[in-house]
Amino acid sequence: MMAALEFLWPPFLVAFCLVGIHAYFGIQVLTRNIVFVDLALAQIAALGATVAFMLGHPAQGPTTYGYSLAFTLLAAVLLAFTRAWSARIPQEALIGVIYVVAAAAAILLIDRAPQGAEHLKQILTGNILLTGIESVVVIAPLYAAIGLLHWVLRSRLTTGSFAWEFVFYASFGVVVTSSVALAGVLLVFSFLIIPAAIGVLYADGIGRQLTIGWIAGTITSALGLAASFLLDLPTGATMVCMFGVSLAVPGALYPFLRGDVGRAWRRSVVTLCWAAAALLAGSALLLMAAPRADQPLLDAAEYALPSLRTHYFNAAEAATYDEARRYAERYRLEAERLNEIETRSRAQGAAISDDTVAKMSSFVRSYGEMRRGEEFVMREVRARARERLRWSIGPAMLVLGLLIAPGVLGFMRRKIASRRAALSP
Amino acid sequence: MGSNPLTPTLSPLGRGSPAAPAARQCPKAILLVFLVALASLFALVMSGLVMLVTPALAQEQPHQARLPVIATTSDLRSLTEAVGGDRVAVNSLVPSNFDPEEYQPRPQDLTRLKDTRLVVRVGLDFDLWFDRLLALAGGAVQRGGPGYVDASYAVAPLEVRGVTVGPGDGHAHGSGNPHYWLDPKNAEIITANILEGLARIDPANGPFYEANRMAFLKRLDGKLKAWEAAAAPLNGVPLVAYHNSWAYFARRFRLDVVGFVEPKPGVPPSPFHIASLISLMQARKVRIIVRQPHEPERDVAFLAKRTGSKFVVLASSVGALPGTHDYLSLFDTNLAALLAAAKP
Repeated sequence: MMAALEFLWPPFLVAFCLVGIHAYFGIQVLTRNIVFVDLALAQIAALGATVAFMLGHPAQGPTTYGYSLAFTLLAAVLLAFTRAWSARIPQEALIGVIYVVAAAAAILLIDRAPQGAEHLKQILTGNILLTGIESVVVIAPLYAAIGLLHWVLRSRLTTGSFAWEFVFYASFGVVVTSSVALAGVLLVFSFLIIPAAIGVLYADGIGRQLTIGWIAGTITSALGLAASFLLDLPTGATMVCMFGVSLAVPGALYPFLRGDVGRAWRRSVVTLCWAAAALLAGSALLLMAAPRADQPLLDAAEYALPSLRTHYFNAAEAATYDEARRYAERYRLEAERLNEIETRSRAQGAAISDDTVAKMSSFVRSYGEMRRGEEFVMREVRARARERLRWSIGPAMLVLGLLIAPGVLGFMRRKIASRRAALSP
Repeated sequence: MGSNPLTPTLSPLGRGSPAAPAARQCPKAILLVFLVALASLFALVMSGLVMLVTPALAQEQPHQARLPVIATTSDLRSLTEAVGGDRVAVNSLVPSNFDPEEYQPRPQDLTRLKDTRLVVRVGLDFDLWFDRLLALAGGAVQRGGPGYVDASYAVAPLEVRGVTVGPGDGHAHGSGNPHYWLDPKNAEIITANILEGLARIDPANGPFYEANRMAFLKRLDGKLKAWEAAAAPLNGVPLVAYHNSWAYFARRFRLDVVGFVEPKPGVPPSPFHIASLISLMQARKVRIIVRQPHEPERDVAFLAKRTGSKFVVLASSVGALPGTHDYLSLFDTNLAALLAAAKP
């Protein structure tokens, strides 16, 4: 666990800095309706670095950074112009055009790169896990300075004049360029939009929005990093999904916290009932119509509770299924064992001759085929058992689904009551 | 959103409002300067593109009398040239510094394939994009036809795993690790496959090709002995590689590749993986990390800094590094780089 902390605290500090500046820019970007502007700016910066690289400058040198910055400033000019056109064309459309053209131009240039196209990709695919404390030392003062500048200029930056728009996009471009190189496009977009969205959802003043966004963003980053370590998953992608969850939870809670609580409860119960009813009825119809097809609901239930199989397999099916599973596992282990022997023999002990390795290789391939055969048997046994049961389980699931559907029970009760009323004298 | 305090100040410029006067507010001279800068930059990029594209086109001179052959990678091109000598004109599709597994074909590849008489591919799911390209080109050579050579035929693949097996350090290839040309001994089988294809298409020159192959194998045999002797100090030296490309190379030269930075191609490593890799590197005293020119330097540099090891750039394809101009020099260069790094 100590090793984990040693690893995860530099990325956490980087995430903290990124949340700090991006939550602020996110609120601005949401207000201006230009959510994808960060992608366009990052792509332009990458194009600038590509041009520098093609002109013979080293990939991570100051000249290359200068080119990136120059391109970003040019893009800021363009973006500042788009404000003037936004009366007729949505600004997002122009931002999208800048993004795709910059991306395509960079591909054309990289295509002709003599060496090291990989350096250029790194500008857009930062990995927050691999950031060190030295990145924090660079970005913390930079972001603090930009934040301070925006605070000082806060009344002017929203006037919409060309010069101040340019200052806004240029400073945003500087932030995005450095943060994308650290954390990658996906994660930076999450940092930008999601804490800001949670803040805007729950508060009015920018101060409160920022506070909520900062707290939510910091907690989410910590949870994402922890999940990535504990579940052994790629860090950036895990954090992005965690940010998605962190937006979904307050979003789902919003009707309960702001509005008629009773109505929110009723609505959510009705929605859940409809979802469950549709799932059950849909699975029932699928089972009856195509019992051999994938049955997502049944498969998931069996995956969670393997003992369910014993309830619908007959004795012969259960025996065949079990035997096939045992053999499949045995073949897998045998193949693994041979692979392991070969791998170990590369550097340790006596070398295995080419002929023996060829034989082992062909054995491993045969084991693979045999395992596939056993897996086919397993699938076949299950498909036949489901085929046998389709007219008993299927209708039962359908009825259950209909009973769950909201209103059906009440409708039936009323029908019965009115019929009784009609029958009784 | 409507309740945001920023909105009122912005609203005159919002969508649907009358034409915004923003552009008018700034001096025209600044605008002009910006536009000129933008235009000159555009011109610069475009001229750069043209300059870069032109020599590539000029290079391709048709060899009329020679048998046209297309190989997917530069390694197979080099081996085909060794067998075909001056009676074949071999072109490879993937530029040598690109990752052949992620190659995006160009329109000109179709023209090249249409006119070719023989194709040589890596197989083992390595150059999967080639199947569609070959079918699309619709030339005389088609999959399974006489002019089609799968160089992996009869090679004993290592690390064969079903697709579902093992979350571990396997390659994403169900049909085994595809980097088989990195065992120089496998060149015997590869050149045999190429010889068979060439003799089928051009039987008149069959004896010429066969003599060429025998001469090449003789040179290879001499080289192999020298390489194995030179690689003796590398035996048992623990290494970490960026990607699992070195299975065959490691087996031939008895290298101990103990782990990989990127366990699955295209998936960034998890913190747990990096942490366990670092403790493994410390426990096994790994001093060398191997990466290819097209693999990211950043991840490798991070590990190297953490563990105090150095990294070595090795070429898995002919032409990926300076000095690797053909199949034999590929091994010369790689072994020299490894030996230099292994020296205390």
